[in-house]
Amino acid sequence: MTGPLEGIHVLDLSQGLAGPFAAMRLGDAGADVIKVEPRSGDVSRTWRGSAETATESSAYLSVNRSKRGVSVDAGGDRGRDIVRKLIAWADVVIEDWGPGQADRVGLSYDTVSKNHEGLVWCAVSPFGEAGPMKDLPGTELVVQAMSDYMNSLGEIGEPPIRIGSDIANLNTGIFAVQAIAAALVRKSISGQGQRLAVNMLATMTHMRGLMWTCMSHPDEWYGLFNDHFTRAPDYGYKVENGRVFWGLRRGNSEDWDRLMIELDMLDHMHDPRFAGYGREATSIGRYAPEVKPLWEEAFHKKEMTREAVIELVLSAKGDAVPWCDFDTLMEQPHVHERHLVTTIEHPSAGTYRALSPSWTFFDTPAVVQSPPPELGQHTDEVLAELGLAAELVRSLHETGVVS
Amino acid sequence: VAGVLDGIKVVELGLFAVGPWASKHLGAMGADVIKVESPDGEPSHMIPPYIHGTAALYISANLNKRHIVLDLKDDADRETALKLIDDADVFIENMRPGAVARLGLGYEVVSARNPRIVFASASAYGSTGPMSTYAGADPFVQAFCGWCSTTGAPGTEGELLRYMAHLDLTTGSVLTEAVLLALVARGRTGLGQRVEVDMLTAGLTIQTTRLAEYFMTGVQPAPAGSAATTTAPNQAFACSDGRYVAVGVETDERWQALCLALGIGDVADDARFVKNESRVANRAELIAILEPVFRAKPATWWTQTLTDHRVPNSRILETDWIRMHPQVTANELLVEVDTPHWGRIVVDGPPWRFGGTPLAPQHAGGLKGEHTTDVLGERVPAHAAVTS
Repeated sequence: MTGPLEGIHVLDLSQGLAGPFAAMRLGDAGADVIKVEPRSGDVSRTWRGSAETATESSAYLSVNRSKRGVSVDAGGDRGRDIVRKLIAWADVVIEDWGPGQADRVGLSYDTVSKNHEGLVWCAVSPFGEAGPMKDLPGTELVVQAMSDYMNSLGEIGEPPIRIGSDIANLNTGIFAVQAIAAALVRKSISGQGQRLAVNMLATMTHMRGLMWTCMSHPDEWYGLFNDHFTRAPDYGYKVENGRVFWGLRRGNSEDWDRLMIELDMLDHMHDPRFAGYGREATSIGRYAPEVKPLWEEAFHKKEMTREAVIELVLSAKGDAVPWCDFDTLMEQPHVHERHLVTTIEHPSAGTYRALSPSWTFFDTPAVVQSPPPELGQHTDEVLAELGLAAELVRSLHETGVVS
Repeated sequence: VAGVLDGIKVVELGLFAVGPWASKHLGAMGADVIKVESPDGEPSHMIPPYIHGTAALYISANLNKRHIVLDLKDDADRETALKLIDDADVFIENMRPGAVARLGLGYEVVSARNPRIVFASASAYGSTGPMSTYAGADPFVQAFCGWCSTTGAPGTEGELLRYMAHLDLTTGSVLTEAVLLALVARGRTGLGQRVEVDMLTAGLTIQTTRLAEYFMTGVQPAPAGSAATTTAPNQAFACSDGRYVAVGVETDERWQALCLALGIGDVADDARFVKNESRVANRAELIAILEPVFRAKPATWWTQTLTDHRVPNSRILETDWIRMHPQVTANELLVEVDTPHWGRIVVDGPPWRFGGTPLAPQHAGGLKGEHTTDVLGERVPAHAAVTS
């Protein structure tokens, strides 16, 4: 193992995306992570897009690398004893059973930390541990719908649009890692662990916090974070071979004049919407939506490609990027040079592409430690490490407690 | 009141949202955070809207800190900055790659004086590669990183999230993660280190699941309105009053519960829909059956009925409603803070709870340089003697 969390033991008792994503990040950061699944497997193993043909679902594979996997029926006493032994092994436990559920099965933090005072326990829930919805199940879409994100997408009166990415889940996973790491920093000083809690709704209202403050008695309504409700959808700028996104922030009058000459747009030089060298007429500027057709028409008349527009804008000290779908993104030299994508070899799913770890630690590098486990792949290995005799392990298999 | 990071000292040289948001997190956790600005101030001061003349972005991203001004182009002030960092556990900056070194505050200089420092940098596209020199901002990274290509009405090529902060704040969050992980490593090795994150990588990170679908199939997950890609039914449905209810069915048990709630028990065991995989494969037929059912009754009926059957659901809440929602108030997700300069303002609550080391209430930071005298008097008495 390598990485900042070398030597830390993590027990992942969660399913789906948020908890497993957090545990995977701890694994990428060098922790020894054991994932416990029910005999039927993590529910994410059933989340398959209609084009998916691999033995494992993309959802499961994407949030479970850098872990070992055991499969235990924790509903009965013998299975629960194994979970108890794993908790005793762990420095960190992640669970998403819902508020109060751990207490119900005799595994509350207070109980299990009695003889294990350094234990860090992180509970992940959809809606938090208080309030009328605390015991209800939640999903990505439901949390997006409750946290205002859908109000800055699409058009008023049209069917609602969600963020395509699973941000309520994945941003929560990031906050879980923060809380766990902070608790480990504390523990290294005090020796004391503690119970932590994160939830998806808190994640999303926190991420939306900038807007809430901007809406808090502003001197004037207009501003970057207040006008998104009423703006039309922004699809970037259409050019001959795709779309670009671009803006002007730093250029001087010479850059501006040259740009307008190149685009045959001198007629607009005195249009007040183009004042300030186009700062409010491009990107997310105040007048950008209404003057966008003028720019697109100029690009079209010059038969400009995506690449030509980007080159011109950069030469005028503006910012410009291709509007990327995943194919376009993967063609970008920058993505290759930065090694943002790596490959993983999985025993049954084969070799596939995956994202590299999110951070660069110059002295203790984070790396993909191992492929996502097959269901129960490390059950015997882990039970042996826990000191269970081979005879006992055989009996646990035969009685269906583990697999 | 202490907090989990009590005793940790942070110096931040942050711009806009990314760096400041990370140190705001550390401050909320109880670290002592000093924000350093040049005499001109960092650029977020120029971004509207304003509250009593101060940029709301600046207020929001700089809670839980003390604010000082140093002219880093001046030798004496640079030496003062170095002395502050000598005494710190964490240094955070998000200038363009290389800029902090040109100011004389690069990793080599700083770590030679303070080997325990965690030196954390964030940039738009990373410190290497052909785009490393690009300035980045949230909408540009949104457009570039593929994020827009999975969001939008069916048939479109995707749209921007018009809340232009999610990738900024995600990058700040990943920066906080990196800092804390490096502090854990320091507990073991005794040494700090240099850590880097960037907006592009952070933007990819929170697309992990959509990118995985693409990597496994070669097929772009297209904008699908409110629908999820790998589970069904998992989307919003129009009701008889024109409102929408978001419904999330992610397990086969919930599918059974949904059919009971909708009064369509005969469909529950239809072989086309009984497993998630088949519901996804037969999504069009499935939705064609469900849509008229939802359209027959108002949203209020469905939210009650679905909740009774424990099917995840919610209306698309209106903005003003969210602050008053009982789940939001019970968990103190949005809180009001009294501030010295801007009255009582709404801020985001922290995204975590610490059972053993409860968080102190968040506090407003201040105006540019408001605490220069206090902080330097406390941390760099020699400087105070020179300038007073």
